[in-house]
Amino acid sequence: MIAENTQTQMRKGILEYCVLSIIARGEIYASDIIAELRSAKLLVVEGTLYPLLTRLKNNGLLSYNWVESTSGPPRKYYTLTEDGKGILSQLDQTWQELAYAVGVSQKGANS
Amino acid sequence: MEKTIIINIGNTIIHIEESAYELLKAYLNEVKQHFSNHADDLEIVTDIENRIAELLTEQMDEQKKQVVDATNVNFVISQMGSVQDFDAVEEGEEQPVINTSFQQQATDKKLYRDMDERVVAGVCAGIAHYLNFDAKWIRVAMILLALVGGSGILVYVILWIIMPKAKSRIEKMEMRGEPANLQGFQRNLDEELQSVKERLAEANRHAQPIFSRFGMFIGEFFEWLGRFISGSGKLIFKIIAGFIIVFGAGLLLALIISTAAFMGFLDSSVYDLFPFSIVSESYRGVILFWAFITLFVPLLALVLFSIRVAFNRQAINKTLSFALLIIWLAGVAGTGYYVAKISSEFKEHAELTQSTDLKSFATYTIDIDKSKYFSKEDSAAYHIDDSNKNQIVVDDYGDHPFRMPSSVRISIEKGEGAASITQTYESQGKTFQLALQSARSINYNFTQREDKLIFNPRFQLVKGTTWRNQEVWIKLKIPVGTKLILKHDAYRYINNYGAWDCEDKENDNDDFSTWVMTEDGLRCIAQLKEEALNKKKLNSELLDLEQLRKERRVDTVYQDSISARIREVKEELGINTEENTANQ
Repeated sequence: MIAENTQTQMRKGILEYCVLSIIARGEIYASDIIAELRSAKLLVVEGTLYPLLTRLKNNGLLSYNWVESTSGPPRKYYTLTEDGKGILSQLDQTWQELAYAVGVSQKGANS
Repeated sequence: MEKTIIINIGNTIIHIEESAYELLKAYLNEVKQHFSNHADDLEIVTDIENRIAELLTEQMDEQKKQVVDATNVNFVISQMGSVQDFDAVEEGEEQPVINTSFQQQATDKKLYRDMDERVVAGVCAGIAHYLNFDAKWIRVAMILLALVGGSGILVYVILWIIMPKAKSRIEKMEMRGEPANLQGFQRNLDEELQSVKERLAEANRHAQPIFSRFGMFIGEFFEWLGRFISGSGKLIFKIIAGFIIVFGAGLLLALIISTAAFMGFLDSSVYDLFPFSIVSESYRGVILFWAFITLFVPLLALVLFSIRVAFNRQAINKTLSFALLIIWLAGVAGTGYYVAKISSEFKEHAELTQSTDLKSFATYTIDIDKSKYFSKEDSAAYHIDDSNKNQIVVDDYGDHPFRMPSSVRISIEKGEGAASITQTYESQGKTFQLALQSARSINYNFTQREDKLIFNPRFQLVKGTTWRNQEVWIKLKIPVGTKLILKHDAYRYINNYGAWDCEDKENDNDDFSTWVMTEDGLRCIAQLKEEALNKKKLNSELLDLEQLRKERRVDTVYQDSISARIREVKEELGINTEENTANQ
């Protein structure tokens, strides 16, 4: 139970970072984000993504354009805003630190 | 073959099979419920709906199909993820409107009547859920309140009207404070659809005005009463029926015995008592028979019915009860016939007048003799003889059963010459002759002892006389100037003056009032005195006012007010004001 909980917490933190990183590479549609995440072996369902995207958008990190689709309703294509880019670089920094912290924790500072 | 439904999802028209539609609808309901705590629920759900529409359209294109089936919907669900999957990731990430499950419980709990754990209408059980109490304590409190002045019953009825029933599963969960959105997912499709329908109905019901809620309450009340009567109430009814059997049987027995007694003592003095003295001697046997049937049959029917209620057994068969009904109707008809016959004996009216001159006195005192009047036979029967003359037997004044209405009325009038008393005896009868005869049977006497006129409050009828509304009117005529002292006891018999109005306020202890005969009729002396005093006062005021008017001729405003007052005073004194002003 504790292991599961920790896993969930880790995944949650990283999911947001990953989503921002994927969008940073260029304008992208929500289901394509899912595809990217799947290929990255970060298993999520689409339903999870929409609340996350909505929250990031409402916090000013993302913006979107309506793009006409050949199949079905128009799609929302997400891009990073300037704020989003700033946050992402901060997160990059944090990730470096965390990766270092994890590496050091696992192998020791001297190795 | 499957029924197809056309839906609009994400602004896209999709043909969908009914079973697939229900599956999709249930899924969307779950999703909506899941996100209902989020601030951005509408946007999220719209995004999801758009994506579902897209996924479905894509599948149709790929599979070259026209209609969405359950497989397609299941694929969509696996793609989007079930709500449990959302939880795993989302937990704690978003800021739900309501934070902790505890708060959610506290605020989401709603006051419903618990129909599953009810005793009467589930009010107490509902309150118990709401307050997290044991229902039995609420019930004890309610019963205590009901015992103390019955307010508990009122409170209960009001709550019964106000609190809605917990009908659907969602309402029951809200009542218990269970988070309805999580449990909802385990429910099967049908229940989900059902609860959605019920919620809609419930929303309508909440909007209903209070009187239709009240109508529902009445319906429910009778439903409950019905259950009560057929259930635990049965026992109470049986107990009541038992009492009716015992008392009814007693009454039947008493009726038989008393009828027999009346038959046996047909000529006895019982018939001189009032209600029986109405019945003429010749009808007595017949009317007794019919009256017996009229009373006996319904009483018997009541007892038989009670036996049926108490023992669940029919005491008599239909034919017999029908026969009873006919006998009773005959009894009613017979009694009615004789009642009509007797009332026809009140048709004619006769009166008998007898005048007596009184010895002249300046003052008469009117008093009532409370001593009982005895005829010669009575005196012999009660052993009242001349030897104990100092003793009197006092008649009790009050009305009680078996007391013949015996009205003696005294009226006082202005007379010419000597004072006199006129006694009028009245009676009804079948013919004038019979009426006169029964008027003659009135035995009434008054005595004049010097200036004291002593009247008896009742009259007697000669033994064996039937009651035909006999009345005695006494007319006392006294000349103008004669004073009259009315004793307290006599007040209620004076017919043409309100003797109670003439109470001398200062000498309230007196047991009499003094009157005088004037040209305008009998006047109360105390009132006359008061009037004279008043007149004197007004006269002196009038003199003063007229003096003032002469002194202050210049001041017109003052003059007006004085003139107005003079007019008022004159009016009260009975002086013709118009004539007066004309003279001026």
